[in-house]
Amino acid sequence: MAWSPLLSELARGTVTTVTVSLAGIAVGLVLGLALALVRARGVPVVSPAVAVYVSVVRATPMVTLALLIFFGLPSFGLSLSPLVAAIMIISINTSVFQAEIWRASLLDFPRGQLDAARAGGMTRAVAFRRIVFPQAWRASLPGLVNEMTLVVKGSPAVAVIGVVDLTRVAVRWTTVTYEPVRPFLTAAAIYVVVVMCLIRLQRSVEQRIVERYGSL
Amino acid sequence: MSEPRGHAGHVVDVRGLGKSFGPLRVLRDVSLHVAAGRTLCVLGPSGSGKSTLLRCINFLERPDEGAVFLRGERVGFRRTPAGRERPMSDRELARMRTRIGMVFQQFNLWPHLTVLGNLVESPIHVQQRPRGEVVAEADALLDKIGLRDKRDAYPSRLSGGQKQRVAIARALAMKPEVLLFDEPTSSLDPELVGEVLAVMRDLAREGQTMIVVTHEMGFAREAADEVLFMDEGAVIETAAPQRFFDNPSTARVRQFLQRFA
Amino acid sequence: MIANFAVVLGEWKPLTTGFLNTVWICALSGAVSLVLSVFVSMLLVSRRSALRRAAQGAVDVLRALPFLMLLFIVYYCLPALHLRFSSWTCGLASLVVYNTAYFAEILRGAWAHLPREQEEAGRAYGYAGVGLYRRIILPQILIASGPVLGNQLITLVKNSAFLMVITIPDLTFMANQVQAIYFVPFETMLVAVMLYWTICSTIEWIVRGMERVAVVRGHE
Repeated sequence: MAWSPLLSELARGTVTTVTVSLAGIAVGLVLGLALALVRARGVPVVSPAVAVYVSVVRATPMVTLALLIFFGLPSFGLSLSPLVAAIMIISINTSVFQAEIWRASLLDFPRGQLDAARAGGMTRAVAFRRIVFPQAWRASLPGLVNEMTLVVKGSPAVAVIGVVDLTRVAVRWTTVTYEPVRPFLTAAAIYVVVVMCLIRLQRSVEQRIVERYGSL
Repeated sequence: MSEPRGHAGHVVDVRGLGKSFGPLRVLRDVSLHVAAGRTLCVLGPSGSGKSTLLRCINFLERPDEGAVFLRGERVGFRRTPAGRERPMSDRELARMRTRIGMVFQQFNLWPHLTVLGNLVESPIHVQQRPRGEVVAEADALLDKIGLRDKRDAYPSRLSGGQKQRVAIARALAMKPEVLLFDEPTSSLDPELVGEVLAVMRDLAREGQTMIVVTHEMGFAREAADEVLFMDEGAVIETAAPQRFFDNPSTARVRQFLQRFA
Repeated sequence: MIANFAVVLGEWKPLTTGFLNTVWICALSGAVSLVLSVFVSMLLVSRRSALRRAAQGAVDVLRALPFLMLLFIVYYCLPALHLRFSSWTCGLASLVVYNTAYFAEILRGAWAHLPREQEEAGRAYGYAGVGLYRRIILPQILIASGPVLGNQLITLVKNSAFLMVITIPDLTFMANQVQAIYFVPFETMLVAVMLYWTICSTIEWIVRGMERVAVVRGHE
């Protein structure tokens, strides 16, 4: 029972899992903020449409979304490699949750501070960039880090469309060697370590915000 | 018909201001003017429209009727080359507001910036002035309000009185032509009111043009050049402080003073 | 596109089967894990520290694990220990175990937020042990955590879609079969998505009702 080939396979799978998760989160961050801003602006037709979109995607299981994107988009002439499809699936999924996080912190933003910015001669755009965004970012950060743990936990869904992530490495090893216990338990341990690191990161982010600004 | 031009000798000239929130009329035909270097105190019971008046002067609220002039220039509207008036764009309005400082009841400091950061934010990012110069001026302002040692602290570490002094310095850092105060001491603990009023008194003495909405009768009597009394959205009486407090001409003011003094 | 939808709707039978399977799988595993989580939450506040730490450790590990991983461990690893179960048993057991960890942690959190005085008042009126928990504490923490439990139930519904990979004929599995046979993947999966939306919206609607109840009974 050699460990080293298994471990090097699992390491490669871990890199894939972390890569697609990070890429998906990064794209989802921008997408989520855009969705939240469109919704907050109250544009007729568009904002309610965004609200419905967010509600539908929030209710969609990651696997179902994966099948929809990977098998559905080619019928519109969009053929994606599994890896690109995986990043797209994760960003679509996480963007709606991130949109809700942004929305909550935008809704909570104290009106008086915006008054002070406007009275200080800031245009809407400058006030958003200099005053609203840095604080909404701070308020959203713990939620966004928490969302990262959810993304990592949902990421095995991309194994279903053929991405060789940590989960699929374990499955492949099992089907080849008929030996399930080591690969699955090791893969599980790696997931647990990654997620617990993220949870610790979230706590330290929260703590640092409290230390610096007096409250969350 | 074009609107009349404001009086260029007045820093602020308010003419016939009216404002409603739904069915509620908060301002009725309010007019006032403040000459350079003078302090106007606006008194009146809660809900008389004092705060709305201030917010209409810098167009945080858009008045329904009337006009506001800053040194003869109309606030919120711009004259087109054809001589017509059109509403100012967000950017034009923002530029106008840099000339009108405002101090809020709830301070509204920006909690993500240090004390110094609050002071230099708008001068650097709105007025585009050089950082070194702005920081030097901000330090001088902090000396003046006695908070140099809090320069790098975040607002959450300050007392209410300190916060409000910083908010005043933040407004001054813009070198505004007029400073609006919206009940600056109303949310302070009684023992912290004095330090804020002291700063304001100094400013009045130095000739900063100010409009102060307040409940502090003592401050109005000492520091104001003129007192304006409002009730139910309308101006009831305008007078020099001596005359206003000792010999008011309306029954409504007498009644008000009896209750407060 | 419209024609494709007609094809999908023509296949309403397998889709309905999948939909109903998803509904009862989720309802059953949700109900079972709620009952189990009540007991697990008692372990999480147990005064015996070894017991409490072991339970908390298990709950924390499960909550850090992707559901698909747990499913595969149950499905592939138990047979290696000569424990053979049907894929249905594996699927349901995994959902129940996984969801119990989340439910139990929610209940523990609600318990921690319950004012100490409530427990003292219960003791003052002669309650103790299980009676105290069942009559005084449990009703309050269930009301307080109702909305959070509802949101977790939505997560359960979404995790149940993973059961397709061990060939349990849930909504996603059936939809995937329909799309593979008729080559209308986008339309089929979109219909499946809308069905999931129906389930989750219903739960959300119930959650809002529970939120109102919670507020009336003094929980924010």
